Amino acid sequence: MVHLFTTLAEPLPFPLAERLLFIALALASASLFLWRLLPILKTICRAKRDSDFKLFPLHRRVADFIFEVALQSRVIRQRPLPGLAHAFVFWSFCAFALVTLNHCAVGLGAGFILPNSWLGRAYSYFAAAFALACAVSIAGLFIRRFFVRPRWLGEHVSVESGFIALLIFVLMVTYLADFLVAEGTAAAHGLWWLHTLALLVFLPLLPRTKHLHLVLSPVTVFLSRGEFSKIPPLAGDEDFGLVAGVDLTRIAALQAYSCVECGRCTEHCPATNTSKALNPKEVILGLRAYLNDAGTGSSEPLLGKHNSQEAIFECTTCGACEFQCPVGVEHLPLIIGMRRGAVNTGTWEDERGAKLFLALERGSNALGLPAAERDKFIQKQNLPVFDGTQEYCLWLGCMGAYDPAGRAVVADFARVMNYLGTSYGVLRKEKCTGDPVRRLGNDLVFQQLAESNLELLAQSKVKKIVTICPHCVRTIQEDWKEFGAPPPIEHHSEFLARHMSELPTTHSGEKIVFHDPCYLGRYRNVYDEPRSIVDRAGIRVEAERSRERSFCCGAGGGHAFLGEESGDRISDTRAEQLTATGASTVAVACPFCHTMLRDALTGQGGNAPALVDIAQLAARSLPNSTQSSSS
Amino acid sequence: MSGIWVVIEAQQGRIRRISWEALAAGNALADQLGLPLHAILLGADTSSLAGEVVAKAVSTVVRLEHPLLAPYTADGFVAALEEHFRAVQPDFVIFPHTYQVRDYGPALAARFGRAFIGDVTAIAPGPIFTRQLMQGRLNGSYRPLSSAPCFLSVQSGAFRPDTLGAGSAATELRTPSLEVTQIRTRPSEPFRASAQGVDLSAAQVIVSVGRGIRDADNLTLIHDLAAVLGAEVAASRPICDNGWLPIERQVGSSGQTVAPKLYIAVGISGAIQHLVGMKGSQCIVAINKDPDAPIFEVAHYGIVGDLFEVVPALIEALKTASA
Amino acid sequence: MKIIVAIKQVPERDAQMRIDTSGTWIDEADLQWAMNEPDAYALEQALQLREAHGGEVIVLSAGSERVQTTLREALAKGADRAIHIDAHDLAQRDSLNAAQLLAAAIKPEQPDLVLTGLQSDDMGYGQTGVLIASLLGMPHASLILQVEKTEAGLHVKRELEEGWLQHLDLPVPALLTIQSGGSKLRYATLMGIKRAKTKELRIVPADDLGVPANQSVQLEGLATPQKNTAVQLLTGSAPEAAAALIGKLKFEARVL
Repeated sequence: MVHLFTTLAEPLPFPLAERLLFIALALASASLFLWRLLPILKTICRAKRDSDFKLFPLHRRVADFIFEVALQSRVIRQRPLPGLAHAFVFWSFCAFALVTLNHCAVGLGAGFILPNSWLGRAYSYFAAAFALACAVSIAGLFIRRFFVRPRWLGEHVSVESGFIALLIFVLMVTYLADFLVAEGTAAAHGLWWLHTLALLVFLPLLPRTKHLHLVLSPVTVFLSRGEFSKIPPLAGDEDFGLVAGVDLTRIAALQAYSCVECGRCTEHCPATNTSKALNPKEVILGLRAYLNDAGTGSSEPLLGKHNSQEAIFECTTCGACEFQCPVGVEHLPLIIGMRRGAVNTGTWEDERGAKLFLALERGSNALGLPAAERDKFIQKQNLPVFDGTQEYCLWLGCMGAYDPAGRAVVADFARVMNYLGTSYGVLRKEKCTGDPVRRLGNDLVFQQLAESNLELLAQSKVKKIVTICPHCVRTIQEDWKEFGAPPPIEHHSEFLARHMSELPTTHSGEKIVFHDPCYLGRYRNVYDEPRSIVDRAGIRVEAERSRERSFCCGAGGGHAFLGEESGDRISDTRAEQLTATGASTVAVACPFCHTMLRDALTGQGGNAPALVDIAQLAARSLPNSTQSSSS
Repeated sequence: MSGIWVVIEAQQGRIRRISWEALAAGNALADQLGLPLHAILLGADTSSLAGEVVAKAVSTVVRLEHPLLAPYTADGFVAALEEHFRAVQPDFVIFPHTYQVRDYGPALAARFGRAFIGDVTAIAPGPIFTRQLMQGRLNGSYRPLSSAPCFLSVQSGAFRPDTLGAGSAATELRTPSLEVTQIRTRPSEPFRASAQGVDLSAAQVIVSVGRGIRDADNLTLIHDLAAVLGAEVAASRPICDNGWLPIERQVGSSGQTVAPKLYIAVGISGAIQHLVGMKGSQCIVAINKDPDAPIFEVAHYGIVGDLFEVVPALIEALKTASA
Repeated sequence: MKIIVAIKQVPERDAQMRIDTSGTWIDEADLQWAMNEPDAYALEQALQLREAHGGEVIVLSAGSERVQTTLREALAKGADRAIHIDAHDLAQRDSLNAAQLLAAAIKPEQPDLVLTGLQSDDMGYGQTGVLIASLLGMPHASLILQVEKTEAGLHVKRELEEGWLQHLDLPVPALLTIQSGGSKLRYATLMGIKRAKTKELRIVPADDLGVPANQSVQLEGLATPQKNTAVQLLTGSAPEAAAALIGKLKFEARVL
């Protein structure tokens, strides 16, 4: 029969020799911890400063800290069960702060939480509750990692993570066991030493394992770049991006060391999910290995031993990785940074990539087509030309101006705007916004395009822009900021949602699944506006991966213009996911998604769902509407 | 001032069709100016070729023969022709605009201190010579300012050889003085690119298929048509993306650019990405059931109809025609 | 190897061409300018030869100040130095006279190899290279796709009509006119552009070259060609249309 005491058992005061032993061990443990931690801190601090880092506004950083670190919001929301388990482990560590201090004080004969006082008792029950939760959680997580073996945790199971889980378990169990033994007994004494040893062994293990995140991740979250995919501007004439160790900044180094290897980024990466070489977790760990190997003063290329150029260029910049990371690692600026390093120095040799760059060096659009074709389209479609007096500039984009599917979407959106009486015009001398070259890391061409377009917008006196392409929205609104002041821009889904009540409704009763574009969803947080349009046209069903978990169509990161992919086609995989919903129509809001999915759905054969843009859904309801061919 | 001289070019033992066109141009100019028309052949042995030229309505056919004139070299031809033209003092010298002429014609004209007027598409009274600029977007009118001689070349297809009458010309055999040290380049035998995969750019006739074919099984129709025409098969992007034909057969902005004599587009709508790959074809035929398909904007001939009816009919008619 | 690449700056391919008021040239008002595409291939060939055999690549262009942009672009792609022949009278020079100007600038450099593009995207004469070779007394070869350096000089691959190819051997110094598509063009990089700022760009006034403007042929006027005749649609039943088509192809288009 196990006797449960109402107070925590403390051992009898220690003899001097034991106290000295404790002090010696504690000092040894602390020194070892520091000896292993300091080189890492030095590496991070030696890295060059982030030229665009601004500490203020502070409230955003504090808010992130509270939600992400203290409340573990992303940890729990994106992986509920393991996330909650981890949260309990974390909260226990916080709750145990005083416990641990008191424990050490007891060893020196100066314990300050009296187990018999009502405060001491209350606190010990409070801590015990957390200890129980923590012990259960850590046991569960151990079973998950070592027996269930989810594949995004990696093939290799690390012994040390098992050992650390064991130590945590021991720490919690020894605390709880103190309720089962009497004061001053040998058992209490033994438990005290067991708990202490577990603590002292745990401490020096932190720096060289992923548990370093205990120390670093709160700092990492607080000091993050803050905006999604925030690409830093190049600093000076000798900065070409992340070429070698010398280019890694403090934030980059800090993030590389903070990775907890949880694999959430990998789990949601479209490249990893289609058997490509790219694995976002390995990218970050590759940077960490590089730093451990070569340091921040090195001129050895980053793309070499620890990260491959092939993998880095497989990224579609969908952002699923960055969105998922619970410790504040921002993958996109790092991946794009490494691409910049390769492209700006000419070390990326890719036939289609070179063709894209050359097309934009000489011409105005990413497809390499003559600009006269734009004019032909504008004339044939009777699109009004922007003359400075209209409210909106309708930005066509390369897809809207040259691609058959994009053109059909523009035509339908124009019909809606005509019906609404919106005053708008198109610019004749638009050039590509530079999105594909920006994501591929060609800063030379990107700057030329951004500056040229900004000048055009200023000269044309454009006040507001609306466009059908989320890539254009993102690039114009965010990426062009470095070179000037772009006018406000919105996506056509936002426009349509606002004017919905003015449009007639035609509900067809068919099942429609909406595919969230990466650059509208994760990049811009727009999920409901396009859905409101779908709701008016049919019965909305959701894919398993939707909203912030939407699976990329495969076109981003310049990939619409590059050659064949390795592994399975991302677009085919997504098309299967969408077809699996049983919907008879797939609705999209991005001309790139449209083109990628059209080919993928055609490949599925006769029973594949139809494909429309939300603008076409909206236009269907207009009077005198003929079903515009959507593919 | 001895009149209009036309340089006749032969390739692999046959006189090239464009040489007759150049002769026709020379004929037109000769009529315009009331000058005699002569022809000149170069080579190591032009005896078998001269007969054809002699049968045309020219005054003289000069056979310039020397062992060093075969194979063709710029040095050989320039030296031989310079010597001849210094002797006969032509008013105009007309060449066919071929790769070979581009290699030596301007250098020859430079020996006489003249700029060469290349790739002429029309000759107006004056004479004023028209040629294309800005990749065919504009026409320029050129007037020779200096005294004779004036050197020019004419574009393939610009002048029709059937305007040339028959005749019986006098022939002259001349041997230019050439030294082997004058010839500085050593050409090898011409060869064809290795037949790895498909080289659509070399095909003279191409039958190209698009989405209208609907199914991979229906491609036999296209292969049959290509077989009857001796044509290569090509496709627009969706066909290759579906794997119905290999990617080497894709014509378009992301595939090959071709300019064959005859391009037959079957069931292709003519999206700009495809058009840029084949717009330069000499003759474009489009078969599509949609009268508004953009392909009809670049086609020379078109049939608006169901390809599953038109193509078999075409195959039948071709078989009958060649029978 | 000391290689000189003669480059021309031409109106951008995409440009809308309008004839100016005099009717003798195009309205340059809204034009954007770019490097002539075949010259880009010539430059690429030169850079590849230098990468393989060492030496120097010098780019050269004649025209007004705006050609310096194109010269800088060439420097950014890897050329070592540039020569700008500052000339404002190119419209008063015919193809031979322009080549004489370029040859006068090239001669003192005594290059091993001169490369030009096959022809220019604007005038399209295709003569400059052949003329420069003739004026400098160099052997030449045109429509070149590949170049190899040999003990005796150069071994090149030349394009012939209808898919035929030919190899040629010639000694150096020599001139080659380069056909588009023979190699893969490299893209301009940020690093290239930054480095280009420190490379030499020497300006040579055209008057210093002793080749006064002169022409034996004059471009009198420009005109827009008549629109291509619309498509001939062949109607009737499938067999009727097919027969009509074959007739057209045989006797009108003469492609069968």
